[in-house]
Amino acid sequence: ERTDTPYLDEQLKQQLEQDVVARYPTRQAATLPVLHAMQHRIGWLPPQAIEEIADFLELEASTVLDTATFYEEFWLEPKGKYVFWICQSLSCEIMGEKSLTQTLKEKLGINVGETTPDGKFTLMKVECLGSCGTAPCALVNEVLHENLDVNDLDRILVELE
Amino acid sequence: MPLLNEPILFKRVPTHPWGDPSERRYISYPEYVETGGYKALEYALAQEPKDIVELVKAAELRGRGGAGFPAGMKWGFLPPEDGERRYLAVNADESEPGTFKDQLLIQFDPQIIIEGIAICMHACRLDTAYFYIRGEYHRHREAFEKAIAEAYDNGVFGENSRLGKINDRWPDLFLHRGAGAYICGEETGLLESLEGKRGWPRIKPPFPAVAGAFGRPTIINNVETLAAVVPVVERGTEGPAWFKSMGVDRPEGAPPTVPASYGFKLYGISGHVNRPEVYEDELGIKLSYLIEHHAQGMRNGKKFKAAIPGGISMGILGTDQYDAELDFDIGKKYACLGLGTAGVVVMDEDTDMVAVLRNIVRFYAHESCGQCTPCREGCNWMYKMLCRIEEGDGTTRDLDLLLELASSVGSMPGTTICGLADGANWAVRTVVNKFWDEFESRVSKQKYVSLAVVGSA
Ligand SMILES: NC(=O)C1=CN([C@@H]2O[C@H](COP(=O)(O)OP(=O)(O)OC[C@H]3O[C@@H](n4cnc5c(N)ncnc54)[C@H](O)[C@@H]3O)[C@@H](O)[C@H]2O)C=CC1
Ligand SMILES: Cc1cc2nc3c(=O)[nH]c(=O)nc-3n(C[C@H](O)[C@H](O)[C@H](O)COP(=O)(O)O)c2cc1C
Ligand code: SF4
Ligand code: FES
Repeated sequence: ERTDTPYLDEQLKQQLEQDVVARYPTRQAATLPVLHAMQHRIGWLPPQAIEEIADFLELEASTVLDTATFYEEFWLEPKGKYVFWICQSLSCEIMGEKSLTQTLKEKLGINVGETTPDGKFTLMKVECLGSCGTAPCALVNEVLHENLDVNDLDRILVELE
Repeated sequence: MPLLNEPILFKRVPTHPWGDPSERRYISYPEYVETGGYKALEYALAQEPKDIVELVKAAELRGRGGAGFPAGMKWGFLPPEDGERRYLAVNADESEPGTFKDQLLIQFDPQIIIEGIAICMHACRLDTAYFYIRGEYHRHREAFEKAIAEAYDNGVFGENSRLGKINDRWPDLFLHRGAGAYICGEETGLLESLEGKRGWPRIKPPFPAVAGAFGRPTIINNVETLAAVVPVVERGTEGPAWFKSMGVDRPEGAPPTVPASYGFKLYGISGHVNRPEVYEDELGIKLSYLIEHHAQGMRNGKKFKAAIPGGISMGILGTDQYDAELDFDIGKKYACLGLGTAGVVVMDEDTDMVAVLRNIVRFYAHESCGQCTPCREGCNWMYKMLCRIEEGDGTTRDLDLLLELASSVGSMPGTTICGLADGANWAVRTVVNKFWDEFESRVSKQKYVSLAVVGSA
């Protein structure tokens, strides 16, 4: 994960300076958007990337780390290629979330919070996805799947194979 | 029963009974204008900013983010201008379980929100607006980015904006993406997050209107609140009376300082009903009406058991509160915290209330930001107790302890910083008290009769 070529290269820096940093009165305020951009590029946030972001935003690496660790969407360890985020909040649970989670655990052979050995799937549970009217639902990476039942899971898994 | 004659906020978002949700699509800037959009901004720009604040005050529009604080009054708390920056932070964090109303406007009719933003910036003299949207709203974020770009292209923001310079700056609107933390919906947690820090709520006062983002005066409003400003301002001096012809008056004899529940409202309804969806109607419709008329009744012909009136933080309405009027005064009448977000979660007779409460308390234990000891420790402790009770290993003493803990988490003034702990307290107290028998039979093993598991779906 340590590389000689920086994760935050000159081109990305220039783009972030113009499109992101310029929007805020302090450089620190760009922390979330820059972390998002970095994770989008690498898939997670290795320590070296955190250090480079800190340099770029003129902050201590510990300050950036403090922010990054607070948010569930920033990952300081790699995750699978496809991350399932099953909503576990009230509307989803009363509409059948438990059988979805159970089925996915069996199909993938992993527990919640784990990644399949081939690095393909990670299974996560999240709180309310703001789509309670189509409960139960889950995000697979950035795609929202609504009104899910157990059969839909097969279809989704086949599509991702 | 009252029913709006026509959709107002959902004018361009097809919804029953006026339209078919499958026909919803992104409304572009030109389409928005063709259907009467940006008339309200035009009107506002021809008036003195303070007159627009007065107009919103006169309409008694209360915040739609959950607390119901009068928007015009909040706008009026801003200190006089000093030439430096002043901010608008739009709360699009929508993370309260059961709440999914703002997302429809964001995704399908973003210009109504943007028009509301522009009116607010003009009225309150705010030069920079940030649209704080929760990280998990992906397609919504894309739609809103597109809408912002369209607004810039059409001279709403940026250089030569039709708003003119505000605080000697051209007005800007930027999207700021959150990253999965419920607490960033709390307004001061949101501000910390906007500043690039962990989303730890700040002690109030000072209120954001005085010292908010980057230490500067800041207005924070919910998405629906800003959208609701548009149809009011569009009607000019007629706006307030028109708005107040809908909804519920203040209780008889109450002084004008007691806010009423006027206007139209987006109600989300989910759970065990036939047609879960977001519906628009006047404030004050009955829960039974929302369920039977809008959501087409209980699913599978089951009986109603309970409902969350507006996000889990509000506590619960019991089986005998089926006819509760959904207005901002619901709390006093029906022993719950309030209307909240009007994100209603309906539960049928097969629902296990112990499991429901375990689910709710897990949410708080998970989302507590950890700053205040009673909230951090109390929510975790209550969660463990509820897991134990659910598994049949609880004792009667546990129930008393649960109620005692709930009160110490949420209702002792000064022991916690933000409203999250309050929400946990109300949820625990109302569910345990209103379904005491069910909890009691669960902890006294002799009497325990197994109920169908929650989520029999
Ligand atoms: N929409 C959602 O997803 C969620 C909504 N909520 C709701 O949030 C509510 C609690 O929100 P809070 O912000 O803690 O309520 P609050 O009552 O402390 O404040 C409400 C608003 O009025 C303003 N305000 C109050 N007094 C003021 C004063 N003297 N001067 C200037 N401004 C003043 C505050 O700054 C804030 O914007 C809950 O009732 C809950 O319904 C909670 C979680 C999620
Ligand atoms: C824990 C917590 C979470 C909140 N989350 C949200 C939210 O996601 N969206 C929202 O609009 N308001 C939320 N609020 C309420 C805000 O603090 C604030 O009252 C609201 O954004 C003000 O806007 P309004 O006056 O237009 O309703 C939350 C409050 C608390 C205590
Ligand atoms: S009450 Fe809970 S969520 Fe709110 S600031 Fe304190 S610890 Fe954080
Ligand atoms: S409870 Fe699952 S989306 Fe809201």
